[in-house]
Amino acid sequence: MVDQSEVLITKLKQGDQSGFTTVMELYQDMVYNTAIGIVQNADDADDITQEVFVQVYLSIQSFKGESKLSTWLYRITISKALDHEKKKKRKKRFAFVQSLFGSHDEERHHPVEFNHPGVQLEKKEKAGELFNALKQLPDKQRIAFTLHKLEGQSYQEIAAIMNTSLFAVESLMGRAKTNLKKILRNYYQGKTSV
Amino acid sequence: MNKKQNIDKLIDEAINSIDDVERAQPKPYLLTRIQARLNKKTDTGWEKAGWLIGRPVVAISGLVILMLVNTVAIVLNRAENFTAVTEQATQPGNDEFSYTVATIYDIENTEP
Repeated sequence: MVDQSEVLITKLKQGDQSGFTTVMELYQDMVYNTAIGIVQNADDADDITQEVFVQVYLSIQSFKGESKLSTWLYRITISKALDHEKKKKRKKRFAFVQSLFGSHDEERHHPVEFNHPGVQLEKKEKAGELFNALKQLPDKQRIAFTLHKLEGQSYQEIAAIMNTSLFAVESLMGRAKTNLKKILRNYYQGKTSV
Repeated sequence: MNKKQNIDKLIDEAINSIDDVERAQPKPYLLTRIQARLNKKTDTGWEKAGWLIGRPVVAISGLVILMLVNTVAIVLNRAENFTAVTEQATQPGNDEFSYTVATIYDIENTEP
């Protein structure tokens, strides 16, 4: 029996519009949820989701089928999200330089606390604090943590997505948790001492 | 409960706060927006040209060709200059040792 994703890939490679629509319907939430977990902004995540599917449409011929379609999509999403963050950081630096020369645009450049739309209402505050701490982690730790916690991916699948070993993912997750605890401890200690 | 225990509890609560999180969903009409983007992408030939030029293989090859052309031009130019200079430098020597230059004997011995 032919796998469903294989049929989809064949359709996509033939430029079949219905194949593209099916891929989108199947994977749009996965792509968006991953993107929003990394960039922590709904509009940016929407933009990245669009970019990911445009890239899928344009470069499907280069997909060799060595990995699962979902793994390939995760890789594109992560790469686009990290690129997006880099661009944003460059813009922030430029805004800082601008502010030195007298142009004050505080409202536009100050980040707002992020609220993930899928978090339960009573946990929103705690989740906001966790997402703030998450921003301070190195990229690889942040990606592994996001894929595991937000997307519910197994360590094995994360290893495939990040093109690394299972041991490396276990180590990344361990360091991510330790660092997050450290960051949160500093945050709560500061908060309770005020 | 002491302060340390309280902070530990807060940390655990924060870390576990996204354990049962639901997947976030994009805004409606995503497909329409993507199709609009795709149409925009395929319309612009300049973007295609930019993409082609931006490819490392093409960019590096272009640079190498440019450097080669420049090097050849410089080498040829130097060789030309060198010939001109040597020609100029040998000119006075030729005049000095020229057989056609009139000498004192030619003037005195007018008779054959």
